[in-house]
Amino acid sequence: MSSFIEVTNLKKTFKVSKRSKGIPGMLANMVVPKFEEKQAVKNISFSIEKGEMVGFIGPNGAGKSTTIKMLSGILCPDGGEIQVAGYVPYKQRKTYVQNIGVVFGQKSQLQWDLPVIDSFELLKAIYRIPEEQYKNNFNRFVEMLDMSEFLNRPVRQLSLGQRMRADIVAALLHSPQVIFFDEPTIGVDVVGKETIRNFIRDLNKEDKVSMIFTTHDMQDIEKTCDRLIIIDKGLKVYDGALMGIREKYGTTRQLDVEFVENTVIGAIPNVEIKRLDERKVRFVFENHEVQIDELMNHLLSNYGIRDINVSEPEIESLIRKIYNGEVL
Amino acid sequence: MFDTLRLAGIYTKIIMRSWFQYRVDAVLRSLAVFLRESTGIIVIYFTLLKFDNLNGWNIYEMLFLYSLLFLTYGILIVFFTGFRDFWKMIQTGNFDRFILRPRGLLFQLIFSNADWFAAVGHGSLGVVLFIISAGKVGVVWNAVTIVYYVLAVIGGVLIQGAIFLFLATLSIYLLDTGSLKEIIYYDARKFAGYPISIFHKAVQVFMIYIAPFAFVNYFPAQFLLRKGDMALFPEVYMYLTPVVGVGLYLLAYAFWRYSIRHYKSTGN
Repeated sequence: MSSFIEVTNLKKTFKVSKRSKGIPGMLANMVVPKFEEKQAVKNISFSIEKGEMVGFIGPNGAGKSTTIKMLSGILCPDGGEIQVAGYVPYKQRKTYVQNIGVVFGQKSQLQWDLPVIDSFELLKAIYRIPEEQYKNNFNRFVEMLDMSEFLNRPVRQLSLGQRMRADIVAALLHSPQVIFFDEPTIGVDVVGKETIRNFIRDLNKEDKVSMIFTTHDMQDIEKTCDRLIIIDKGLKVYDGALMGIREKYGTTRQLDVEFVENTVIGAIPNVEIKRLDERKVRFVFENHEVQIDELMNHLLSNYGIRDINVSEPEIESLIRKIYNGEVL
Repeated sequence: MFDTLRLAGIYTKIIMRSWFQYRVDAVLRSLAVFLRESTGIIVIYFTLLKFDNLNGWNIYEMLFLYSLLFLTYGILIVFFTGFRDFWKMIQTGNFDRFILRPRGLLFQLIFSNADWFAAVGHGSLGVVLFIISAGKVGVVWNAVTIVYYVLAVIGGVLIQGAIFLFLATLSIYLLDTGSLKEIIYYDARKFAGYPISIFHKAVQVFMIYIAPFAFVNYFPAQFLLRKGDMALFPEVYMYLTPVVGVGLYLLAYAFWRYSIRHYKSTGN
């Protein structure tokens, strides 16, 4: 039994024209264009179950967008297979897209000069949404996202947060089984982001729709997704529980200590010592190399201490490390 | 089928409503298009006052030739604006949204775009020129000539639509086809304002076989006017406009179908 979304050995290569240097190079290029192959997606496989909510992240140029575009049927893969809800996206476009919803945070699908409601009516006709289903979805989403006050205002007059909410509803009116969110909180203020995240989480719980969520805001992921897929340089580098990241890579601890007076600290094996200011010192170490109680005992018995503070690394800094290739 | 027509209707309603959001601007822009295009005709008018005729074509026959150009463009731009501006959709990545909707791609391109400013500007100029000239060029308006005229207009619209579709398809590969469009569409259209018999052989070949504007206005006008310079060209060309229109459009359509598989979306 295969999964709801099944991606195996996905590959995509783009041809980019290679520019030679200088005017002779330019002229030569006009006559005989040279192309370079750029492997946007080298080999990616994963599967997602119905109702799962997956954060899909990676640095710019990692191949996220390309993967999402292949999943949604915009691009055709060069190799590998994709199956979503029983469809092969790029083969059965018209029937397939009836089952998916896509929100591009950077590209609105609303009619710029017209009231929000007009765009919704147009989508109702495009997707052939039955009257009753349309009404139910419309009423429910408008209430969940508190949109009634700006439904009749032209889109160009909306704030970014309002426009984003309207765009999210626009992608959901036809009750898709899979939803792709591509940076749905970009540029939105803190309150607006929170509204959107709550809505997405509630929708996922209530409707059991599968969701794939790309973002550069780790808060988005932490507040909505249970599972994380990290893509880098066209390959999958992590796939698992969000919390697993911390267990697997979050082995570094730091201990900030404030001493009673300016103290010179002697070297301690496997511990990096950074002086923050006159009396504050930071100790950084791996938790499998150094026992934290031994370190603290050592410090407490040898020096006068005013305050002590242990911290775990943030998910965000861990992910930065994964991008930089420092861990793995 | 009914469903598709209904959607086309909704699209049109939406475009009209957007258009009327800026009423004053809408009227002024249409007027601007009308005036801009009229200046070209005024220049010809005054030139012909000096010369009396151009290769046997008098001023009213020239205006009749012109009217076909503007009428077809007015209709063309209601249906095929999406083809004309397709390169913009490719560059901005807005075309992706069309792929994500459960409707035909060309259907969406055709019905979700219409340049009403140009349509009203060009179309009304075409009508004005037709009214001024039609009674004075010696055409007997009977069932045959009227049916021929209607078919010729449809053919002329399709020929230009095919050129737009061909250029749109090319922009899948080249991204920017602006200059090419200037040459094979807008420059060719400037030549088409005159009887092509006045031009060098090379220009005639270009106008008949490459950017076939000769079939948009010159040959249809010849069917109705029968000027002496038609002797330069095969007589059968006078009847070919609808065939050329449909044939060229189908060819452009095949090219589109083949090329859309190579579509590469823009980044992010």
